[in-house]
Amino acid sequence: MSDQHLLEVRDLVVRFRTHDGAVHAVNGVSFDLAAGETLGVAGESGCGKSVTNLAIVGLLPKPAGRVEGGSVKLQGRELTTLKEEELRQVRGSEIAMIFQDPMTSLNPVLRIEEQLVETIQAHREVTKEAARARAIDLLAAVGVANPESRLRSYPHEFSGGMRQRVMIAMALALEPRVLIADEPTTALDVTIQAQVLDLLRRLTEERGTATILVTHDLGVLAGMADRVNVMYAGAVIESGTTDDLFAKPRHPYTVGLLRSIPRLDGETGGKLVPIEGRPPDLIEAPVGCSFYARCAWRTDRCATETPALAPIDGGKGPIVTSGPAATHVVACFNPVAPAEVAEGRPLPRAGGATQ
Amino acid sequence: MGRYIVRRLLAAIPVLIGLSILLFAYIRILPGDPCVAILGQHRTPEACAALISNLGLDRPLWEQYITYLLKTLSGDLGSSVVNSQPFLAEFLTRFPGTVELTFGALLFAIGVGIPLGRLAARKVGGWVDGLITGVSLFGVSIPVFVLGLALVVIFGVILGWLPTQGRIDARARFDATSGILLIDTLLAGRLDLFVDVVRHLILPSIALGSIPLAIIARITRASVIEVANEDYVRTARSKGLKEKTVDSRHVMRNAWLPVTTVVGLQVGGLLGGAVLTETVFVWNGVGRWVVDAIQNHDYPIVQSTILVFAVIFLVVNLVVDVGYALLNPKIRYQ
Amino acid sequence: MFRAALVDPQSARVSRGLWSDAARRLRRNRPALVGLFCITLFALAAILAPVIAPFDPYEMNGSSLDAPSLTHLFGTDLLGRDIFSRVLYGAQISLFVGVGAVVLALLIGGVLGAVAGGFGGRIDGIIMRATDVFLSIPSILLAIGIVTALGRGMAQLMFAIAVSYAPTFARLLRGSLLALREADYVVAARTIGASRMRILVRHMLPNALTPLIVQATLVLATAIIDIAGLGFLGLGPADPRTPEWGTMLVDARRFMQTAPHIVVFIGGAIVISAIGFNLLGDGLRESLDPKLKR
Ligand SMILES: Nc1ncnc2c1ncn2[C@@H]1O[C@H](COP(=O)(O)OP(=O)(O)OP(=O)(O)O)[C@@H](O)[C@H]1O
Ligand code: SF4
Ligand SMILES: [Mg+2]
Repeated sequence: MSDQHLLEVRDLVVRFRTHDGAVHAVNGVSFDLAAGETLGVAGESGCGKSVTNLAIVGLLPKPAGRVEGGSVKLQGRELTTLKEEELRQVRGSEIAMIFQDPMTSLNPVLRIEEQLVETIQAHREVTKEAARARAIDLLAAVGVANPESRLRSYPHEFSGGMRQRVMIAMALALEPRVLIADEPTTALDVTIQAQVLDLLRRLTEERGTATILVTHDLGVLAGMADRVNVMYAGAVIESGTTDDLFAKPRHPYTVGLLRSIPRLDGETGGKLVPIEGRPPDLIEAPVGCSFYARCAWRTDRCATETPALAPIDGGKGPIVTSGPAATHVVACFNPVAPAEVAEGRPLPRAGGATQ
Repeated sequence: MGRYIVRRLLAAIPVLIGLSILLFAYIRILPGDPCVAILGQHRTPEACAALISNLGLDRPLWEQYITYLLKTLSGDLGSSVVNSQPFLAEFLTRFPGTVELTFGALLFAIGVGIPLGRLAARKVGGWVDGLITGVSLFGVSIPVFVLGLALVVIFGVILGWLPTQGRIDARARFDATSGILLIDTLLAGRLDLFVDVVRHLILPSIALGSIPLAIIARITRASVIEVANEDYVRTARSKGLKEKTVDSRHVMRNAWLPVTTVVGLQVGGLLGGAVLTETVFVWNGVGRWVVDAIQNHDYPIVQSTILVFAVIFLVVNLVVDVGYALLNPKIRYQ
Repeated sequence: MFRAALVDPQSARVSRGLWSDAARRLRRNRPALVGLFCITLFALAAILAPVIAPFDPYEMNGSSLDAPSLTHLFGTDLLGRDIFSRVLYGAQISLFVGVGAVVLALLIGGVLGAVAGGFGGRIDGIIMRATDVFLSIPSILLAIGIVTALGRGMAQLMFAIAVSYAPTFARLLRGSLLALREADYVVAARTIGASRMRILVRHMLPNALTPLIVQATLVLATAIIDIAGLGFLGLGPADPRTPEWGTMLVDARRFMQTAPHIVVFIGGAIVISAIGFNLLGDGLRESLDPKLKR
């Protein structure tokens, strides 16, 4: 970690205060993002993917959600302690976001024009005409036909895919360094999904925009992401390059994830195996490994000690946290052996790690 | 848009027909001999015969209804059984008073209710929110006439700050053209009288406006809170818009929508509440006239007032719905 | 994708526990408890009036317009009757007429709403237009119209108020029934061939009841206010000596300058009971709405 990363998240902790107690939504998430790289994030619903992203840009729902620890640095600048006005200037112009549901993410009573122009004018001292000209270019760039006349339309006059293109245009309007795309295609038809993802990849590549791509679709990750963070119960439990992770998943949860989706190549024998049980209640502070209750590899140690992210092979050489040579790290005392992946359960080992 | 208005207008027709049947039945249901019920102590054999042929009570029901309907449509809303004055003429001299009162109450309810609702939404869960919730709870729980009497006691009797009876100083002399004194005093160039009218209007407006105020504050609060949680508001923030812009352009533009509908629905309650408020403040409007009519068993007056108030309610809500459609592009283009 | 893969063993338990869940949340809802307290006060005053009232509400027991004292807690009215006793008996009338009116309104509105929402089609259209007619008339005017048509009296009062609120209940029930028609378990019941009537009575009505109960509680507050309003307009119980709150206010108003406390005591009684039902209604809504769970 000698050279500075574009984005550095360290030990991020987010809690929600609710009537029933504090929800431990994010419990010490750390990761880095290098310029131009695409980081995929996967994990079950409710594991803290969106909350992590919202915390980065200071948009946690107020007043319940709060960052209770850790740091977020953008090019060395700490974001968690920024004043609201300074943070506002970062949002949209340096870190932009795209959300899941294009049907609800655009304001229904404002024309597309107003929504694009206001974004540009929030950060640049330009005339309305100049902003409008830029908006037309942007719409053209995301593949909206007749951009000039479409500018006058309201969101409901667009299809879902078109709206998400508008969202992309809006997010890229100010050439941000980081783009956070939180399940950008989940709400779209499968055929449209591919088009939108292609567009997203092309535009971010052209502009060298670093991207955090959250998705439930591991297939999308395989095609889009350079690296992947797998999250569980508010923590990153495995991280590595996409190739490493798909070829040699080491965390029991990651293995479960990969086995729970149909794979086109049929590599694992084609059987679809859901992960049993449900994620832990985040109201209780986690003790031991959070995956303990659902884990087939668990040992007594897992119940009391919390595993930290560590390199698989015992850490030869320095840990690389970004880029194509990123170290494959996993938070597990008994990482899954390659032979066990296909089985989906522990095999007797020489060390006798299984119960 | 034009189609939408036409559709709304057509939808009002069955309601108007239903209303006319109901009100037609009202006069027929009056217990016992219609002469006794309607004329009461003013009863003479001649008056009775006149009434019966006047109401057409000697003809078949359906014919009577058709006659009633045609008369109503032609603007003949019957006349008083006490002094034979036609309803409409008298109504028109009384109505401006009720309009003025309702306007004052609505102004008070909107002018105070919406800011309160916004404030509560901004401080949701805090003590300010609690206080505003308490005030609006009180507003819906206190009857207009109790609040009216309390205001009269406090501001009129004890403090002596404001007049508690009538619409204007009884000695004032000037040209009343429209009957709406707020306008007439200004037209006559009498600023002193205008101020007097406003002073007369304050207490009744507060009394009558308290329930709509509470309801408007509540719906504004709920609406703002709901919209503030919408995805597009999060989008607006993620674009780095100033909080002020997020609030005015993204939150409020959408939060208005349910508020306008509710404001329209308040008009019915206001017209009904005016009956009580006018009684408390000895206010010269339709409400007090109706109360007098009840006491005098002058049922045609009650009947036609109900009809006119219901029609006003329907028209106001039609206008509000069209306004809603104008505010909301999704409906506008249907 | 993972969502679908997860089994959800808790869902069954959650729905069965709606009422006990609601009771638990209600107990933690301080405003609702205050409301319950006000209502208890109101109900006790009404039920125990003959026991606690120190004087006969119809008889002259002191001199005219006495100020509040230990003998006459709220003072006396023009005819020397004890106002405290009259306020207690007034609670009886408001409670009796109010509850009666709301129950009647629930019956009328419930039947109309169930027919409209359960069967739909033509009947639905007719019933809905009819409710439109009634809802277009300001409720106090509607009540005035009914009382003048039927003559003064408690039963007439009850009926008038009931008719004013029945359309609201009908629409509410119809709305929930329509929403429920698409609910999974109703669709399931339909596919296994349960009869229309059986689905309506066994599956839909119990679930549609929740918003109705909340609304009925809130309407009780307005009903009490409306009863007093009609009394204030001289349309209260047939006997003008009856200690009905609104009727009493007509007298009290005449001595507002000299004896303003009378208005305060009577008005206070109305406000406290209305606040009680409003608070309880809001509390019920919050605790019965599963969306607000957490
Ligand atoms: N406003 C809130 N109040 C309380 N808890 C919240 C709130 N928002 C999120 N949470 C909790 O934080 C946890 C993480 O939620 P998050 O939205 O980050 O999940 P996610 O991984 O994005 O899931 P999904 O795949 O469904 O989008 C969840 O357990 C959720 O219950
Ligand atoms: S640490 Fe233990 S319980 Fe946790 S995933 Fe690894 S083996 Fe399973
Ligand atoms: Mg999410």
